Amino acid sequence: MGSHFLHMLLFSTLVSAFFGSLLRHDRQSQLRLGLKLWMVMVGGALLMAYAMYFFQR
Amino acid sequence: MAEDGGTIELKQPPIAPGPHAPRTWLAILAAWVFPGLGHFLLGRKHQGLLFGLIVWSCFGLGLAHDGRLALRDSRQPLLTTMQVVANLGIGPADPIARTVVYGSPVYRMTGVTRAPDPPTAGTVFRERARSRHAQYGTAYLWTAGLMNLLLLFHVWDIARGKVP
Repeated sequence: MGSHFLHMLLFSTLVSAFFGSLLRHDRQSQLRLGLKLWMVMVGGALLMAYAMYFFQR
Repeated sequence: MAEDGGTIELKQPPIAPGPHAPRTWLAILAAWVFPGLGHFLLGRKHQGLLFGLIVWSCFGLGLAHDGRLALRDSRQPLLTTMQVVANLGIGPADPIARTVVYGSPVYRMTGVTRAPDPPTAGTVFRERARSRHAQYGTAYLWTAGLMNLLLLFHVWDIARGKVP
């Protein structure tokens, strides 16, 4: 798999599932934290990528 | 005794094995040897399965994407040592993977030669670095090891009764 974007999605999914399960104890809180982390990672990366548009070489 | 003459059943919380109990150390060792097994031994089977699945997936993805198994380089001792520690977090799977990739469980950067037979670990390391997937693979490998190191602390906390 050579797509940077797909790797980012996959990596974010694994990491957010891990920390969601590690840091929360009931199923609903785990899902909520996992989703939040996933959105922060993916959304943050997309925002950063968009911001970099203004700093082209 | 209850008012109606029946007996009251007292529900006691399960007794944690304590931080120095052999079972605690066995669980921590098991968690390092095989990610997910520590939780399994402490009775948290679903958590063990989930953590095992995540960590092993990360490790497998790392190897499948030509991830670089770090070698300690005397020119950058601190950074490369931390990379080796991150790799070792996955347990004995790390030396096994090194044996497959480098031909032996090597942890030190060796010289790079042009056409050695067999190639040195340094040569293989640099060859893998040229792969267009190596950066992804390396990130997966480090993440797998670091996640498992965190799991060791989690197992320790479960054994101490600090985790509900």
